Amino acid sequence: MRNPIADLSIPILDDLIESDYTRSLVVGVVVVFGLLGIVGAAFPDSVAGDLAGIAFSTSTATSTARLAAPIVLAGLGGIFAEKSGVINIGLEGLLIISAFVSIYAASVVGIGNSVLGIPALAVAFLAGIAASTALSAVFAVVCIEFKADQIIAGLAVWLIALGLAPFLSRVLFGGVNTPNLGASVGWRYFAALVVIATLGSWWLLNRTTFGKHLRASGENPKALDTVGVSVSRVRYAGVLLSGVLSGVGGSALALSIGQFVGSGETMVQGKGFIAIVAYLFGNYNPLGTLGAGVLFAGLDATQIRLQQLGYAIPDTLVQTIPYVVVIVVLTLVGRTQIPEAAGEHYETEE
Amino acid sequence: MSDAGPDAGGTPSVVSRLIAPFVDRSVAERLVISVAAILLSIAVGFVIVLISGRIAQCSTAAWTMPLTGIGFCYDPIQVYVVLFNGAFGNPIAVGEPGLFNPNWTPFNLSLGLTLSETTLLIFTGLSVAVAFRAGLFNIGTQGQLVVGALATALTVIAAAPLLPEGPVGGAVLIVLGTAAGAVGGGFWGAIPGALKAYADANEVITTIMLNFVAANVAYVLVLEVFRAEGSSVVATQYVPEYAQFLPWFFPQSADFAVVALLVGIAFIGALYYLIEHTSFGYDVRTSGVQAAAAEYGGVNAKLTTVRAMTLSGALGGIGGSVWVLMSEGRWMASIPSLGFDGITVSILAGNNPIGVLPAAFLFGILKGGALEIGFRTDVPTELVGVLRGLIILFVAMPEFFRMIGKYAGIGAGGPGGGVRTDPDETDGAVGTDGGEADA
Repeated sequence: MRNPIADLSIPILDDLIESDYTRSLVVGVVVVFGLLGIVGAAFPDSVAGDLAGIAFSTSTATSTARLAAPIVLAGLGGIFAEKSGVINIGLEGLLIISAFVSIYAASVVGIGNSVLGIPALAVAFLAGIAASTALSAVFAVVCIEFKADQIIAGLAVWLIALGLAPFLSRVLFGGVNTPNLGASVGWRYFAALVVIATLGSWWLLNRTTFGKHLRASGENPKALDTVGVSVSRVRYAGVLLSGVLSGVGGSALALSIGQFVGSGETMVQGKGFIAIVAYLFGNYNPLGTLGAGVLFAGLDATQIRLQQLGYAIPDTLVQTIPYVVVIVVLTLVGRTQIPEAAGEHYETEE
Repeated sequence: MSDAGPDAGGTPSVVSRLIAPFVDRSVAERLVISVAAILLSIAVGFVIVLISGRIAQCSTAAWTMPLTGIGFCYDPIQVYVVLFNGAFGNPIAVGEPGLFNPNWTPFNLSLGLTLSETTLLIFTGLSVAVAFRAGLFNIGTQGQLVVGALATALTVIAAAPLLPEGPVGGAVLIVLGTAAGAVGGGFWGAIPGALKAYADANEVITTIMLNFVAANVAYVLVLEVFRAEGSSVVATQYVPEYAQFLPWFFPQSADFAVVALLVGIAFIGALYYLIEHTSFGYDVRTSGVQAAAAEYGGVNAKLTTVRAMTLSGALGGIGGSVWVLMSEGRWMASIPSLGFDGITVSILAGNNPIGVLPAAFLFGILKGGALEIGFRTDVPTELVGVLRGLIILFVAMPEFFRMIGKYAGIGAGGPGGGVRTDPDETDGAVGTDGGEADA
């Protein structure tokens, strides 16, 4: 199957964006929002009017920023791991562990206090990042040193975090949900974090030697090895970066409400998996990942607002939309450009 | 971690020497790795319990470390005793003069719960294993189970008025419901199969997505259309009592039927035969090991992909049927994560249908024992979730155990544990089947 928008020719855009895939997505999104704006302005009292009102309102924008942060940050991390040749399906686990540890650190320090002049919330962020990075280091050792199957090891990372975070919460706080610390980080910080991380990732991937090595490690590790760069070290860096970025995302998620919720699927609720989808959707491009993450988060935020306006659409049905969209897009566009050697162990040649 | 070393290092050699003469080497090796992974997880879990017992708050120490006198809030030995003993309904009387509990019968509630979980995990484990063998990573068994369960519940509820009440009508309804579950799950599994075969859409992603879609759509369907009147939770009405699996020997509240377990074991045998001794099984295995070669050898890889995913989905769907007809008696929104646990069962079983039985039993024990831990100790039951993750992590890294094996001096050429197999053997549980391929 071929996607119909790919054949459209748009003068300036064609030069700016080379890939058919990205161009189709950009055109699709612009058209949908454009139509929504026009129809909404023409018929302000209709459903479309309400939808447009929601889509272009500030409160939707702020909650989108909140919801998008963990998805985009974990997705950026996933790009680094997968570009280096290690598929990290355990992003969900990294988000869970960092969400819990950041709350624990904040409660130990105490909101409003500071350690060595660093305020509690910053300590919490650092602790969350450290926890996630440590878990990703375990994952890296298992995959790179012990040649584990990456998908299975990634699932294990998720399962371990899914068990460990509520376990520790019960040990330390007496329940799977921690008490609410009563402090939350504003959405502006998240928006700034996300934008900085996205631009930084793009720069790192496309404009530095490290980015070049990273891509080579995923596409053609043998070539990288031949020029004398250690494939293992590049892959370690890729996986650890996924840990750092997911740690930022998980801490942001928990600190945005000041509580860790550990019941069921925990408060992360599959955001790590959506993150994987976001970077596949964005075809391993940080900017595309940002777009996809904002799109999914925006849909979620819109649905929440729709509920508040009294539309009787079952919210679960609206939440299903991103998943269906992903399946449709994967089907139409077919294979995303997965790095050639991703998922395979590389044996250094002596 | 210091106590993990001797356990993991010593066990493979002993066990492998015991079993190596009896089984094929690659199967033996996988068995050793699975056993070593379980033991290592238990050792790491021991350390986790100790550490958390040190940081938890309690008035009196539950356990004091010998020689050091350091007190801990949790007793790690007691945790495992309760876990494994409790899962069988406490056959061993701890601290009593007689070792065995004289009041113990095999037909107790705890063992019933353990076997109930085992039965359900057999189906979801087989579901994942079939797909694995075809080189497909079916993470969607959970969604297939949800769809199959709903199909079963709705079919049985709809067909019940048309049939006579009683055992005969009940048997017909059970068969009909299970068939509906297989069709529903099979359909849900065929979608990612077809997308993989004909649109090249990665099945790991599509099955994860379809899990969410299945859960959400089924929830809304039941919420809006099929919800039982006056029910406080989102659930269908109950299927008639006579259309459920009867518990026979075990207490009603264990939700366990021996006949369902026997059906599960029959499925294991059938699937083993199907994969190892039929031409379809040959297609599946060759596509799993080397898709391009299979295609060259005349296997229709696309069709095999769709068929394998449909079969996998059907098995997951039957798991859903058994969950409805044995455990719950109706479809309800809070479905346990049996499909995800099926992945762990299949991985531990090395994707071998025969191995699914002990692996499902082990996870059944963990489930049954977790309840006992909750009753009898202060240790959070989430520990069992951690153990599950650790087991999978360790099973995923056979190279680790090979290294330990080598380090412990078993060396190359020794049976089982230390054998350095073909490098291809190491890089994945997906369809690696060196030792068993048809000649």
